[in-house]
Amino acid sequence: MKLLLGLILGGAFGAVLQMSGASSYTKMTNALRLRDFTIIKLILMAIGVGMIGVNLLDALGLANIRIKDLYVLGILAAGLIFGVGLAVSGYCPGTALAAAAEGKPDAWATVLGGLLGAAVFAFLFPELEEHLLSIGSYGKITLHGELGIAGIWLAVPLGGLFIWLAFRLPLKGETR
Amino acid sequence: MSMARARKLGPIPLSWWGGGLAIGLILIIATALAEPIGVSAQYVVLDGVLLHALAPATVEQSPYLEKTAKGWTLQTYEFFFVLGIPLGAFLSALATRRLSTRVVPSEWAARFGYSPAKRLAWSFVGGFLLLFGARFGGGCTSGHMISGISQLAVSSMLFTAALFAGAMLTVRYLYPYPNRPNREGRA
Repeated sequence: MKLLLGLILGGAFGAVLQMSGASSYTKMTNALRLRDFTIIKLILMAIGVGMIGVNLLDALGLANIRIKDLYVLGILAAGLIFGVGLAVSGYCPGTALAAAAEGKPDAWATVLGGLLGAAVFAFLFPELEEHLLSIGSYGKITLHGELGIAGIWLAVPLGGLFIWLAFRLPLKGETR
Repeated sequence: MSMARARKLGPIPLSWWGGGLAIGLILIIATALAEPIGVSAQYVVLDGVLLHALAPATVEQSPYLEKTAKGWTLQTYEFFFVLGIPLGAFLSALATRRLSTRVVPSEWAARFGYSPAKRLAWSFVGGFLLLFGARFGGGCTSGHMISGISQLAVSSMLFTAALFAGAMLTVRYLYPYPNRPNREGRA
């Protein structure tokens, strides 16, 4: 049952990514070049809706919350590395799978490179953990947790702001 | 112009707000029924299961692999979620006639030429960095950006800020100004 649920939710996710152009190299690259804001608007909308919904669920005691650890130096380095990979491939780990399924061979290469990158990390992990993951480590902290309030009080204005921004941004950016 | 070689696909069938709303709802349903969405850990799981089957001695050197690929099985909610992504994308691409076997994206070709080997090699390198970074940071666009920020997690906001910084600087280097004029109808 759980497996079927995963397959259905993942299937819906993959179909939405594919149908909204998120699995397109050109769309992704032009988003990063600030020429085409389709994917930025999509992400802002997804986070805005998700933030309000997830925190509403949490207020009702129905959310399975999973907060990731904060380790400042490691997270910064990881985000930068990920960003370079995103710019070079034009895909992220999820959209690469969607693009591969569309038949794009370069996305297959990204998936294979990803499997190697994940394996290399898995074998380097003890070293990295010792040196980088311990610097600036604060555990599973959230904005509302730091403020000592329920998430919904932040989620509604912040989520609303994200959705407003999504509508406010133009579809096309500058073309120089 | 050589651009004519690129096969024209149909228009993108789903609007940004339709897609964003749908992803938000998928996240909400997943968080209620199972857990927030995430993709990148399953690359490690697949690695672990494959290595465990093919070279069992090697996996013992990575406690991280053993912890992530718990029980060396692919029959988990998380893996099936990730398995669903290409299945769903394939079906929707089929239904909307957007299947494409182009090796070199038009945008890339206009800047770096039509060499398939070059594009495939750099896609591979990009994928390597993506998953190395994602596992280093503990999540990717799904787990950190969409799920993490929605849960107001500080680590996810920091990861996302670093991600955009890295990506935008790289893209500025790859596609320096002055840009070619933006042509229409490409996706």
